[in-house]
Amino acid sequence: MSAVVTAPALSPTPSHVDNNVTAQLISIWMAPLVGVILLGAFLAFPGFLPPMSPNMSASQVASFFDEHRVAIRFSMIVFDLCGIMLVPFFMVIVTQMKRMATPSEVFAYAYLAAVTSGATLFAVSNLLWLLAAFRPERDPALVQLLNDLAWLIFTAPVGMLVAQCICLALAIYLDAQPRPVFPRWVGHLNLVTAVLMAPAAAAAVVTSGPFAWDGLVSFWLKIGSFSVLLCVMFVVALQAVRRQAREAVASP
Amino acid sequence: MTLDVSPAAAAVAVDHEPLPRSTKDQWICWWSIPVFYVLFGLIFVPLTRVMPPPRPDKSPEQVVAFFHSHALTIKIGFGLLMVVIGWASWANGLVAVQMKRMSVGPVWAYSYVAALAVGAIPGCLFAAFAFLAAVLRPDRSPDLTMLLYDMGLMMFVGSLGCFTTQYLILALAILLDRNEIFPKWFAYVTIWQIVTEFLAAPIFLVKDGPFAWDGSISFYQGTAIFAVYLTCLIALLRRAIEQQSVAPS
Repeated sequence: MSAVVTAPALSPTPSHVDNNVTAQLISIWMAPLVGVILLGAFLAFPGFLPPMSPNMSASQVASFFDEHRVAIRFSMIVFDLCGIMLVPFFMVIVTQMKRMATPSEVFAYAYLAAVTSGATLFAVSNLLWLLAAFRPERDPALVQLLNDLAWLIFTAPVGMLVAQCICLALAIYLDAQPRPVFPRWVGHLNLVTAVLMAPAAAAAVVTSGPFAWDGLVSFWLKIGSFSVLLCVMFVVALQAVRRQAREAVASP
Repeated sequence: MTLDVSPAAAAVAVDHEPLPRSTKDQWICWWSIPVFYVLFGLIFVPLTRVMPPPRPDKSPEQVVAFFHSHALTIKIGFGLLMVVIGWASWANGLVAVQMKRMSVGPVWAYSYVAALAVGAIPGCLFAAFAFLAAVLRPDRSPDLTMLLYDMGLMMFVGSLGCFTTQYLILALAILLDRNEIFPKWFAYVTIWQIVTEFLAAPIFLVKDGPFAWDGSISFYQGTAIFAVYLTCLIALLRRAIEQQSVAPS
């Protein structure tokens, strides 16, 4: 009994590889599902369309929260509940990075760590918005403080995302096999995305113009380029896992 | 240069066929779980009074009084947590090792570690930071103290996504696993945990009743099921390591 339980090799069901692929496919398909839910929450958040200006006064921020309390709470609860569910998708990319013929797995684990820290920042920003919306009677100056913190944490610490993209790009370039896990252009796309997202860091100090947290660069370009990258990564990750499945069948 | 011996290919093989070896390290991690949760209970229940949570509908003056009467134990408890919190990672490591023994490959083991690494910060430490800042200056304006009170309790009870993700992938892994590392019924206990996380979502909306952050549904029901889940997890991890210990070499 225990021999069967503990030794996969003795299992009567065929190879564990199929199952490994199934787990990756489930994680990949979670991404569009969660993505649509998050997009719905994004569109429902009144503070994003258009993004709230850093120059709003405390009383303007407080009355904005008063006016849109239901939609703010709804969208941020959805972010809070579902945002982290994108993590398994990124872990598929980690799993694929470990299949690359790179000198070591260093970038795979670096990617894992960057995703984890980035996800933590996202979770904290959602909770700060929910905290800002919690008590209508709270001093407007404090609502503004929480809203400022949420916007800063949501927008400025792009380092995790940038490092994540660069890790993946480098791993793809170093993947020394005739048919790499991800095509080279995916590496280029990750580098370009890193470059497009990096300027959003300026939102930490700039309060007007394209680099402010409501600006064209720090808000729209950052979120837009990351969304495009997510869509592309969904397609190429799916292809990579399917190829893994075919190769497993071909050479058991 | 030859593809067959690439490090990545070797690593994949190692992932799925670990050599039979001592389980000493796993037992060390296993023992950390009951020790951690006894300390966790001590810190959060009698010392810092975060569990069961104080009411969300207190006035700022009542909140100031709450911090005044528990200042010393909050400092002791959360001071202790600053050290103790790190041991949450040992349990995560152990679960991840057992998940990697499952036939589903490493993707969910990584996701488990990542989701709980997220959870440790907003889901646990922020409560400590907020409460510690509140008791640091008892003469702070009551409105600011109230903000810290809300921050601590809301983040502690309301960090949901990290834990829903953790439970979701653990349940999926158990259901799909062909190596029977954990019994299938444990997946259903885990799914119940996902339901409790969703049932805690209304804490952001209401300040009274069963769905408030101190409510019978949001808090007591969730905590009771977590206790069942944790007891099962500890017992099943023990079983899984024991089976590994007797595995033929």
